[in-house]
Amino acid sequence: MSTVAAPAPPVDSAPAGADLRKRVLDGVRRIAPIAVPLLLLMLLPALGINQQDALVRATPFILTGLAVAVPARAGLVNVGGEGQLFMGAAGAAAVAFTIDGSLPSIIGIALVMLGGAAGGVAWMAVAALLRLGAKVNEVIATLLLNYVALSLLAYLVFSVWRDPGAAGEAITPELDASLLLPTLGPTTLVNYGLFIAIGAVVLVWLLVDRSRWGFRASVVGGNPEAARRAGLPVNRTLIAALLVGGALAGLAGAIEVAGIETRLRTGIGFGFGYIGFLASWMVGHRPAWIVSAGLLLAGIAVYGDSLQIDHGLPAKTVYIVMAGVLLIVLSVRGGAGKRG
Amino acid sequence: MFVEDVLTGAVRYGASVLYATQGELIAERSGIVNLGTEGSMLCGALAGFAVAAETGSALPGVFAGLIAGALLALVHAYVVINRGANQLAAGLAITFLGLGLTAAIGTSYVDRRIDGLGEAPIPLLSDIPLFGNFLFSHDLLTYGALLLAPLLWWFLFRTRWGLLLRATGEDPEVVHAYGHSPQKIRYLATVAGGALAGLGGAQLVLAFTLNWVENATAGRGFVALALVIFAAWKPLRAMLGAFVFGGAAALQLQLQARGIDVSSFVLEMVPYVLTLLVLAIASWRGGQQMPAGLKAVFDSGRAR
Repeated sequence: MSTVAAPAPPVDSAPAGADLRKRVLDGVRRIAPIAVPLLLLMLLPALGINQQDALVRATPFILTGLAVAVPARAGLVNVGGEGQLFMGAAGAAAVAFTIDGSLPSIIGIALVMLGGAAGGVAWMAVAALLRLGAKVNEVIATLLLNYVALSLLAYLVFSVWRDPGAAGEAITPELDASLLLPTLGPTTLVNYGLFIAIGAVVLVWLLVDRSRWGFRASVVGGNPEAARRAGLPVNRTLIAALLVGGALAGLAGAIEVAGIETRLRTGIGFGFGYIGFLASWMVGHRPAWIVSAGLLLAGIAVYGDSLQIDHGLPAKTVYIVMAGVLLIVLSVRGGAGKRG
Repeated sequence: MFVEDVLTGAVRYGASVLYATQGELIAERSGIVNLGTEGSMLCGALAGFAVAAETGSALPGVFAGLIAGALLALVHAYVVINRGANQLAAGLAITFLGLGLTAAIGTSYVDRRIDGLGEAPIPLLSDIPLFGNFLFSHDLLTYGALLLAPLLWWFLFRTRWGLLLRATGEDPEVVHAYGHSPQKIRYLATVAGGALAGLGGAQLVLAFTLNWVENATAGRGFVALALVIFAAWKPLRAMLGAFVFGGAAALQLQLQARGIDVSSFVLEMVPYVLTLLVLAIASWRGGQQMPAGLKAVFDSGRAR
């Protein structure tokens, strides 16, 4: 696989023109992950999709996408973004209900976000234990844990934190106002969670594509046996890759709680984990490109919401489109991917 | 009687998962992992329910379920076999496709009522104390699930076609050398697997829940995936696994019905936790003979 370095191209005295072309192409390739989302964002209104709604929706998709991309670098498939997001939301709520209004807003929000990440990490730790302790394939472990997490979340909402004032609906009380993620302006729903997500993209890009750890992870992912023989800490790398993924999905849950919902409820972030999975696979797990995929899927999801409102079609109808896009991407890339 | 009710429930509740498990088992024996099994179940469930609702009779629904499940699996087969797409990613996309399709089409069936597949107790046998109820007083599809395991065992291990199927999952080159097309066998296996998953979905709505809700299968297709590994790709062990899952679910329902005060949310988790536990024990003890061709699939998540 790709760990074996391709033979170096023959060093010839290429004409200066070729060198220039290569530099321009390199430059374009570098700018593209930033340019494409901006372009996409500008296109959305033309399709009748609200830009701000798309940005709000893209935030969790980007994070759950990264939650797939990081383990993927180490050869692991995380299908549990869903459950990690639920538990992240629960972790964030647990912290929020504990500290309430007792701390300055900025510290309180930071702790709530940390609580979310911790919830995701804790949930992923179960899958990591199953994978490395009992050799249960992580695809199966993370998938089934999603359903356990769904019930656990329902239990927490109905039996532990239920708002006695809310008749009928099962929701927790609202978070203290000081713990809610502020919006970018008085008239917008876009909150600072978007910047957390974009910051996470940069950090994950540095970690995965620019750090020694990222290189080690790709060696482990490419050929664990060879990595073990070369003396790399294989298990530690696998665990770290999984837990970082869990933290990212958990963060998505925290942002949903503190940025959008203002409370915990059972349907929170439903489907976001799977959509993140689609996003990451769409772009071959390249962190820099996940913003583009997240925004595209968010645009489709927002369009789905409008279908529901305007035509009475269930919002999940657009899953057909999302799945179709990924199947086409996989089909096109499939042949090329065989080089591995 | 409590034990009898749980056992009967285990069979009827486990039957849908059993169909899906055997379907996935067939596909995996040929070297194809199909995470779209959940989607095939959903499509089978809705098609079965819709046709039963429209025709007023459950039997055509059974066939509709079978065909719907097979059609969705056909998409997986094409994308994976012809286009070389990653099996895990494609499978999950297929499930997503099934979820979207059934959500969109299913809205008009949410409050519909149907006559399910009635119970057809087998004369005499169903009067046997204890065993009579849980083995011999079911509907057509549940009997089918009970018969499927020995049939599939016979097919896999006692027929030439079964041997070819198993060989395809182990080493397609050999099958090719013997003048057969591994691709064709994989197509057939994947589509047959989807058809069985569709039957499982149909069993769920036509013999068990008798209603349609969005996402009706709630992860049973993924449980099937786990049970195939637990069963070490053996049909008879798959039956055991499915009935353990069904038993856990039936126990939950029986406890609830008897008003025993355990949080329903905690009980809801039990089947999934139990599936993970038995899988962990089976995997930890090792000794599973995964078809050689599958290993690469499960390890295919690496970045490109």
